[in-house]
Amino acid sequence: MSSGRRLSHVSRFVQASEVIDAPQVLTPPAHRERLPVLEIEDLSVRLLLHRERIRSIRDYAIRTLKRRRDKQDEFWPLREVSVTVNSGEILGIIGANGAGKSTLLKVIAGIIPPSLGSVVVRGRIAPLIELGAGFDSFLTGRENIFLYGSLLGFSQKELEKRFDRIVRFAELDEFIDVPLMNYSVGMTARLGFAIATDVKPDLLLIDELFSVGDAAFKKKCEERMESFKAKGVTIVLVSHDLKLIGSTCRKVVWLHHGRIAAAGPADQAVVEYQKFSASSSV
Amino acid sequence: MFGFAWTVLNPLLAMVIFTMVFSRVFSNRPNYSLYVFTALMGWNLFSSGTSRGLDSIVINGPIIRKVFVPKAIFPVAAVVSQVVNFVFTLIPLFLLMAVSGAGFSLHLLWLPIPLVSLTCFALGIALLVGTFNVFFRDIKYFYEAGLLAWFYATPIFYPPEIIPDKFKFLLHMNPMYALLESLRAPIYLGAAPPLGVLLPGLALSLATLAIGWIVFHRFESRFIHYV
Repeated sequence: MSSGRRLSHVSRFVQASEVIDAPQVLTPPAHRERLPVLEIEDLSVRLLLHRERIRSIRDYAIRTLKRRRDKQDEFWPLREVSVTVNSGEILGIIGANGAGKSTLLKVIAGIIPPSLGSVVVRGRIAPLIELGAGFDSFLTGRENIFLYGSLLGFSQKELEKRFDRIVRFAELDEFIDVPLMNYSVGMTARLGFAIATDVKPDLLLIDELFSVGDAAFKKKCEERMESFKAKGVTIVLVSHDLKLIGSTCRKVVWLHHGRIAAAGPADQAVVEYQKFSASSSV
Repeated sequence: MFGFAWTVLNPLLAMVIFTMVFSRVFSNRPNYSLYVFTALMGWNLFSSGTSRGLDSIVINGPIIRKVFVPKAIFPVAAVVSQVVNFVFTLIPLFLLMAVSGAGFSLHLLWLPIPLVSLTCFALGIALLVGTFNVFFRDIKYFYEAGLLAWFYATPIFYPPEIIPDKFKFLLHMNPMYALLESLRAPIYLGAAPPLGVLLPGLALSLATLAIGWIVFHRFESRFIHYV
């Protein structure tokens, strides 16, 4: 408990939430060209792993009477991570399971607040992590476009304008007024992808290769990704597919136990990571 | 659509029940149904708004874990939806006023002020209990019991005069009393709410909202680890 207070103190000085709020404010384009789209400085995320977690006042009272404190261990999914991604760059993130890759994406997306350090994103993020999180299965596809769209920060007017295009891309014309609970997994994912990527974002976050729908739709997704790439959208890509990383990313960060083990041009970092995993698996 | 009908029917049914049970007991209150209904509208806004606000963060945990959203929208939505219900309930209220022969006076224009006070007060409490509920999940049971006690401690279905003098101080410590009395004045009495009740009520509501807002923002960055 006491260490918890100390640390939250530090994070208040950093004012993490204000930094995270920044992406909502679009900086003028001329300004944006010069500044990196994503700047991460000395980012650490601290979790408290509760051994016997207090979940209720009753627990708390009993624990206090017995004079036992909530036992918790610190765990740092991310430690002192610093990365800068310039406009139009594609950053690859590799590492073993549990290395902190997904946590890093969530911090960039603003879902998890940094405990220490800072994250600055300039422009609009399209987080392709957990597609369709926030969908309500009792609402129709139409209603969910507005619900999910507004969770992603679009205004109702914008969504009305883009509505037809989203539905066409998701290939859901017939089912758009059907509640989502009657959709197949593929249909739901298609809708999520169509909403999230309808507008060119400034920063695209991709966690693993999302397998959305059938081969034809997958191709459509890939085409859209390619067009974003061609238009110079900045991308942060998390993947275990080293071949894909090697071919698409110029810059690669290898995370190991939450720290940056290697960072640099794709070939170097990937080779180092491969060497390491080969040696550790023997 | 039927869901909407229920929001109007619920206070109506409650009013009918209270009228049947208590209108003889409190026969010195003329137009007892209107007396009860007005206060019930305000009480429902407060109790449903804060109860839903209490659960709102935990229930929307899956969204908070996956998408970046300003977390305050959940308790705010919980309370605002009850304000919308309140506005719809004005329809049966006005019908009741017409049927029971209570006059429509220009003083009804005062209504927005007690409504704003009630909303701010409910929102402040919703933010507070919503925050606590993230960390202590059994707050809910305490709060529900508290709400019940609070309901009976507030002159909603009984006139304030029946409270013995030695307990009168409780009334003045009860913000809901001031808020509901300022709501009642223009509707039930056809009079302006006494400023000595209206203004302290508004001030207290704004203060509650400010405290709720500060506490919520103090803890909201930790929600992600608890939902």
